Amino acid sequence: MISAVRRATAGLAGALLALAACSHRPDVLTFSGSVLGAEGTIVRRQIDRFARQHPGLTIEVRATPDAADQRHQLYVQWLNAWAADPDVLQLDVVWTPEFAAAGWILPIDDAVTDADDFFPAALSADRWRGRLYAVPWFVDAGMLYWRTDLMDAPPDTFDALTTIARGAVADGRVASGFVWQGARYEGLVTVFLEHLIGFGGRILDDDGRVVVDSPAGIQALTFMCDAIHRTRIVPEAVLTWQEEQTRFSFQNGRAAFMRNWPYAAALLGDPAQSAVAGRFAVAPMPHAAGRSAAALGGAQLAINARTRQPEAARALVRYLTAPEQMIERAQVAGQFPARRRVYDDPRLKDALPIPPATARAIVEHAVARPVTPVYTQLSGILQIHLHRALTQQETPAAALHAAAAAMRRLLDDAGLTAVS
Amino acid sequence: MKRDTRLAWTLLAPMLIVLAAIALAPLVMTIWESLHRHDLRMPWIGRPYIGLANYATAAADARFGAALLHTAVFTGISVALELTLGLLLALALDNVRRGRGAARLIVLLPWALPTVVAALVWRFLFESPAGLLAFDVEWLSRPIAAWVPIVLADVWKSTPFVALLLLAGLQAIDPALYDAARLDGATAWRRFTNITLPLLRPALLVALIFRTLDAFRVFDVVYVLTGGGPGTATEVVSLYAFTSLLQDLRFGYGSALSVTIFGVTFMLALLYIRALGAPVAEDA
Amino acid sequence: MTRAAPRIGIFLLIAIWALPLLWMLIASVTPESRLFGGAPAMPGAFVLDHYRALFAERAFWRPVRNSLIVAATTTVFAVAIGVWAAYALARLRFRGRAVTLSAVLAVSTFPQISIVSPLYLLLRRAGLIDTYPGLVLPYLTFALPLAVWLLTGFFRQLPGELEDAARMDGASRLRAAVEVTLPLAAPAIATTAILTFLYAWNEFLFALSFTLGPERQTVPVAIALFRGQYQVPWGQILAAAVVASLPVAIIVLAFQRRIVKGLTAGAVKG
Repeated sequence: MISAVRRATAGLAGALLALAACSHRPDVLTFSGSVLGAEGTIVRRQIDRFARQHPGLTIEVRATPDAADQRHQLYVQWLNAWAADPDVLQLDVVWTPEFAAAGWILPIDDAVTDADDFFPAALSADRWRGRLYAVPWFVDAGMLYWRTDLMDAPPDTFDALTTIARGAVADGRVASGFVWQGARYEGLVTVFLEHLIGFGGRILDDDGRVVVDSPAGIQALTFMCDAIHRTRIVPEAVLTWQEEQTRFSFQNGRAAFMRNWPYAAALLGDPAQSAVAGRFAVAPMPHAAGRSAAALGGAQLAINARTRQPEAARALVRYLTAPEQMIERAQVAGQFPARRRVYDDPRLKDALPIPPATARAIVEHAVARPVTPVYTQLSGILQIHLHRALTQQETPAAALHAAAAAMRRLLDDAGLTAVS
Repeated sequence: MKRDTRLAWTLLAPMLIVLAAIALAPLVMTIWESLHRHDLRMPWIGRPYIGLANYATAAADARFGAALLHTAVFTGISVALELTLGLLLALALDNVRRGRGAARLIVLLPWALPTVVAALVWRFLFESPAGLLAFDVEWLSRPIAAWVPIVLADVWKSTPFVALLLLAGLQAIDPALYDAARLDGATAWRRFTNITLPLLRPALLVALIFRTLDAFRVFDVVYVLTGGGPGTATEVVSLYAFTSLLQDLRFGYGSALSVTIFGVTFMLALLYIRALGAPVAEDA
Repeated sequence: MTRAAPRIGIFLLIAIWALPLLWMLIASVTPESRLFGGAPAMPGAFVLDHYRALFAERAFWRPVRNSLIVAATTTVFAVAIGVWAAYALARLRFRGRAVTLSAVLAVSTFPQISIVSPLYLLLRRAGLIDTYPGLVLPYLTFALPLAVWLLTGFFRQLPGELEDAARMDGASRLRAAVEVTLPLAAPAIATTAILTFLYAWNEFLFALSFTLGPERQTVPVAIALFRGQYQVPWGQILAAAVVASLPVAIIVLAFQRRIVKGLTAGAVKG
């Protein structure tokens, strides 16, 4: 009797296993991220190399829109449906805590053996509740672009910048003094963050409390509003501009200063389309009472929590974030590596659009935005009030107080505080 | 009478089956979702049933109220413009002798463009300093002025739908009626008000319903032109629902917002059908 | 009915619609830096770079093919199913007419954004993600109600005498409908087809959510994938829009010849 049951169970188990094997997808690892232009070239090249080192493994590259909202929407849709693919995902720098809290990505501490080689700000943005959930892949940092033909050295302080900008506009050499991204979107928060830290303020303090409406914060926002409406070194048009419009403004020689990400440097240096090729340089953002700061951007790699091949996925992540691959990526796509020591590598000398030493200095100044699962909502609140202040619908103080109150309410309701 | 009923349901069956299969389940799932607290970012809270609490929150949400107001005003102005211009366009196209095909094509092309592209075109036209229609005004960063390019973009893109609809309606009018009226000495205006308009009523009603429903759910145009800014001055309800659902990952609340939007638009549709004499829904 | 005033009005009206289109055409052959140049007027040199890039780099014919297939299939189904339903709703007397009409309308008014996720789950379970049916089916959620409502409206406008005459000659309801009413409704059906086609052609959210790769992605999605994280290739996007309008233009021109003006005089009198 028992042997019959045992045989039946074995038979059933065998049948189930066979069934599972049939429905189990072949060894296809899917990678999802940016595959446009140079980024696409380099990622495919590196993935092909990895595939050759792992025969029996097929890797598929799935393109997702680069527009952050749309990629986020697709990821949410897939991960919420418990899709097993894509296995490896390219995340925007502010998504990691959100996805980690939702249980959609795997802890990844074991894929990073040399944590101190990564920029601390980038690594801290990828931690949630003490564990690492994504590996920094490349970094972006906000920088000050300045015209070398209009001044001898870049300004250190916001006051110096204002003076130089005013002078350049008054002389008629440029139409605007300073351009930055002021549309009502995430970029505005990064620009504000750089001003905020420059004036000595912060969005959240070390205990995760909202302190964006401190006197320093109000000073920072007031400075930005004044720059548009009082000293007029910033054109009102920036209030609808994102990265590209500011780039074109500077590229056509219409501005003395621009705040933008590193991607613009290569385009600005192309004499075929740029009116300022050879006449600009890059420096860290200026500051006032605080310190110079660069908003941290960039991308990280994470692993789908429901992947059927965690080992292969981990291996791929480790491979793509290895120093060799980062150097190659810098050479082909011009993106800043997320590892510190590679900046000393001589191969990086001509790879980046700006000198590696300058690049590293800027990234060391990088400040991450609040690391919390509710960041998008927090940012949304801040964007709305910042924009209201900049368009003079509210005073800076009122705007920041309202924003802070709403942010505090949100964090209370969620029972969350930021964890670094 | 019985044969009519049986025939009717037989003819309706394919449509009902298709719609039940693909549309009913998602609708019901969304409504069910709206009765729970479901925040994807915080799975530790679970998905507790909270009845109508999400709707209560929405009712008290000032941002949602403002979005409703914006959407209502936008809908009113857009639809009025679209119907008027649409009628004018339809009359114009009806009267064109030569180049009719080309004229119709020009009028239809804006509608053939992906909405995002149409919105981009209008953004270019209004973004100073380079915009042709900007005249050095910062349209998109002023709370009220920002509506102008939004309304224009929507009207430009959607009037063709109305025009084509009304054109088809115009062409269904028997020219003999006009001849008879002319023989009786009626002026062009009288012919228009006594013959054209009444006979166009069904087409006008359909145009009104569909344009209102679409305008109320406008998304792309606002998203590309202002993103809801400056501040939240141009935020419309679908934008807010999108933000709640897919950016803030508050599925329960976002679903409640969606159901509310659906409720409002559906009420509007029923209102039209009732108030405008319902020539479509009544018996002949 | 032909006077000078309408002619001028016609010209003005059509000009207003044509101007932005014209601008688009010019911008699509303008080098990118000049688009933001601050000098809004005519560019000095026209370039075909954007168009070249479209086909050389991006194989743009694929999304166009996908859009054509999906939009056409959706239209065919929507009209084929909808015409019977519309006939019933417009011509037949039965209980539940108004309710059915309202329900059909209700289906199409539900915000797309909220049914995307549930629809995705359903399609995934049916194995239809990244397939043509996986787009046509969701598209029917708005195309079918649209077609039904439009056709119902048109059917109501048709005089019933012809059909009654046929029935008195002994034809059944259905035969009368097919042989008499349908041909008369041809212009209306053509109009409905064009409008439904364009609605489906334009659709973005479902296409983005239910396709995975270039083999099935439609034109709006392909255009959305042009842009990089910061960079937006305006020139290429505009060029893509121009190219994408061509098939539509051809279809519309072909169809609109079939929209014959009014009923032929003999049909009503005779």
